[in-house]
Amino acid sequence: MELTLILTTNFLEEPSDFMIFLGRFHPLVVHLPIGFLIMAVFAQFATSQPKFHPLKPFLKYFWGLGAFSAALAVLFGYLLSLSGDYDEDILFWHKWSGVAVLACSIACYFISKKQQENSTIPKWALILLTTGTIIYTGHLGGNLTHGQTYILEYAPNPLRSMAGLPSKIEPRQKVTVLDSADVYLDLISPMMNRKCTSCHNRGKKKGDLLLTTYANLMKGGENGEVVIAGDVEASELFRRITLPGEHDDFMPSEGKRPLSDQEVAIIEWWISSGAPPEGFVPEFDTEKKITATVTNYLGLDKNNFINIDVPPADESVIDSLSDKGFIINRLMKDNYFLEANFSLSERALSTPDLDLLLQIKEQLIWLDLSNSGIQEEHLEKIGQLENLIKLDLSGNEISDSGITNLSKLTNLESLNLYNTQVSDGLLALVTRLGKLKTLFLWKTKVSDSLAVHLQKENKHLKVMHVREPIIEVN
Amino acid sequence: MQRPLSRREMLGICQGGFGALAFTGLFGALPFGCKRPKNLAASNELYLGPHYLPKAKNVIFLYMDGGVSQVDSFDPKPRLTAENGEDPRKKFKVDATQFDNVGKILKSPWEFKQYGECGMPVSELFPHIATCADDIALIRSLTSKFPEHTNANYFLHTGSGIQGRPSMGSWMTYGLGSENKNIPGYVVLDGGLIPPGGLDNFKNGFLPASYQASILKAGVEPVANITPREGIPKLQEEKLRFIEEMDQSLMGKMGEVDAVESAISNYELAYKMQSSIPELTEFSEETKATKKLYGFDSDDPHTRGYAAQCLLARRLVERGVRFIELTCPKVEADRWDQHNNLKDGHERNAHAVDQPIAGLLKDLKSRGMLEETLVVWTGEFGRTPFAQGADGRDHNPSACSMWMAGAGIKGGTIFGRTDDYGYRVIENEVTIHDLHATIMHLLGINHELLTFRFGGRDIRLTDVHGHIVKDILA
Repeated sequence: MELTLILTTNFLEEPSDFMIFLGRFHPLVVHLPIGFLIMAVFAQFATSQPKFHPLKPFLKYFWGLGAFSAALAVLFGYLLSLSGDYDEDILFWHKWSGVAVLACSIACYFISKKQQENSTIPKWALILLTTGTIIYTGHLGGNLTHGQTYILEYAPNPLRSMAGLPSKIEPRQKVTVLDSADVYLDLISPMMNRKCTSCHNRGKKKGDLLLTTYANLMKGGENGEVVIAGDVEASELFRRITLPGEHDDFMPSEGKRPLSDQEVAIIEWWISSGAPPEGFVPEFDTEKKITATVTNYLGLDKNNFINIDVPPADESVIDSLSDKGFIINRLMKDNYFLEANFSLSERALSTPDLDLLLQIKEQLIWLDLSNSGIQEEHLEKIGQLENLIKLDLSGNEISDSGITNLSKLTNLESLNLYNTQVSDGLLALVTRLGKLKTLFLWKTKVSDSLAVHLQKENKHLKVMHVREPIIEVN
Repeated sequence: MQRPLSRREMLGICQGGFGALAFTGLFGALPFGCKRPKNLAASNELYLGPHYLPKAKNVIFLYMDGGVSQVDSFDPKPRLTAENGEDPRKKFKVDATQFDNVGKILKSPWEFKQYGECGMPVSELFPHIATCADDIALIRSLTSKFPEHTNANYFLHTGSGIQGRPSMGSWMTYGLGSENKNIPGYVVLDGGLIPPGGLDNFKNGFLPASYQASILKAGVEPVANITPREGIPKLQEEKLRFIEEMDQSLMGKMGEVDAVESAISNYELAYKMQSSIPELTEFSEETKATKKLYGFDSDDPHTRGYAAQCLLARRLVERGVRFIELTCPKVEADRWDQHNNLKDGHERNAHAVDQPIAGLLKDLKSRGMLEETLVVWTGEFGRTPFAQGADGRDHNPSACSMWMAGAGIKGGTIFGRTDDYGYRVIENEVTIHDLHATIMHLLGINHELLTFRFGGRDIRLTDVHGHIVKDILA
């Protein structure tokens, strides 16, 4: 049935799905002749040694198998070529060198069948020719599937220049602040490389669309432009990535990982901003519409310094701190940030202890000094631990005059002053600590009105200044 | 007599070649040559701490022994009232239950009211906990795999329904170490009821023996033999030194054996506990207001008992204890396991724990400790929406309500849904493995990375399961 279908339709112009289905077995089948023929070549060389003479009667079978599988590979390859998804120039040479491999292997088969010992020179020439053609054909095949630059992508630069390729592009430095994030180079281009260019590259060129450079992206594919600068609705690229996943036109196709919601939002913003080829994000995002998304997408929104690598702390300092009664813990596996806890030391803190602590100020982000006998004069040094995110000073004899020293701790998110003598002078400090999220003020001299005021003025700050009582239940 | 070499000594001698490989294998993920320090906080040179920045430093696990009825506590079902007394088998498929004495659909004897800004419905059983609704993330979709206490307890505590696996508290102290050298890192506060399955719920399993729970009672003598019997301190010291010498000589003969090493370190810890524990359980420094908050002045002796447990839990957190589990008091009815007389039994149990738990939450919150402490409240399974006999409820592993509060938890959340009868979970099921994964996540542990090699494979608390319940995280 299928056979008559193949014969009766004008399959050259409109190949049936079934033929392309068969054609896609080409990459599988093609490795059989490569294996068989190379085995035959090795066997042929081996039999010139007396030790391997017993192999001789089998040589013709090796070549025969090679020729037969080569014929299959050529047939499947031809069916695959009908899909038209490949670069025509490379395809032409791949096709005909494949046919040449088939011809050579058939010739080798007949020669080895006749066992003409005397005509050795033409025979060896033919074998070498076969080997060479296999390599050449295979290389072209690789170029078709993986793209021409694939094989030398990671080659050393001298080798690349011999092949007439430019030096390797240095990978772009990871963006650390939003102000230096380039719209194309840091956002769109990496997105395309991750999700699109495995099909839309120079060798494969699905839909005649190349997404490897800005120029090609704007040029579009066989159906015209895919990005219309400033018009998201009219941009085919945007339509394709936002279709329902099961739609035939949905991109990326063939079950590859779709773009994330953030990526889609960024592409949408980029197109509607006029699809600029370069420039930093803030230039185009004057209304701060995409800032939050981009910040999150590029991983810049954590505590700004927490994803900056810090060096490990000096071990001798850690050891001396431990001897003084500090408990020092590392807080994460892929960075060297530390917490220090003095509250279990059963002794009062002294100034030399703080000098030691200052030596790990870069790494120290959590500090528990509750019930540690902290005096006012200690707070000046504590105020120099600028990376602190969490600071617990509860249960110490400290007051307003001392804690003004903490105003440089701008990274502070949590400050515990429970059971201290601080009072309304606290206001000056709190206004300086912009990142503060929780403030504990129970059992202090802070007035209720100030606590309520602080809570009211700072939406993101949680002020805890009373202990909720237990209700009466009858 | 010359003793044959132990395997570990043999490998020690063969250091460098095969020995080195096997040695690393024996010690799981530890780099070659590193020995895990015992009873110490994660040391600097060897990475043992959290994998990523933790939210919680400590866990208080409020275990509701026997299985609280979800439809009578946190999961109101008006349909039970509407269809009270009807045959459940005509309404839905009824699974075989423990006693298979299936009665009629039983409406809740308690009214529900909405609490907090989130409007969380809570029944009359928990008027005090209800006032903390905005700090609580309620999960209505916890399921278990076992309909029977012993296995369900093992499953809840160790992630496996079969006796012998390490308890979650052991895993967490193994992963994070303990901060306090004078108190064990994993403490169970015995309220009077040891759960079915016994002490195996709190054991270290295949982890080193120093990670097992220590059981404390809130009372005159919190730990058996905590006051030295020797009249003169020197006598005890000499006795201990003698035991130490004996142990060391045994070590010399046996080589490094975990059982002996752990016994030695446990002796050392026990000696330290003779001074640390009386200080811990001495409540005189607590104010009258605090004691009242927890329920020390209640008429109900069980409320007073559980109040002491809760206060002790807070004091343990202050002293850096990693994982604290509270078991239930023995009221004049069974544990939360009301196979009959639901109204009386649940009311007695609820009265004992309600105010102390609310007091604990409020106290932790005002001191800034709830920011670093995760409070987990759960039973081992739920109960049936239909009666067992006339006025009881049978075991139901298909739905159970639980809640968490504190560090990293989004207060006022309700997650998961059960069917109209509260019988089965129909949306967002949370398994025990998911619960474990979430607790570990909040402690900064990636549950897939904390492993221990036993029986030829790297074993986790969550085995091959577990998804973090992200919707309840702040």
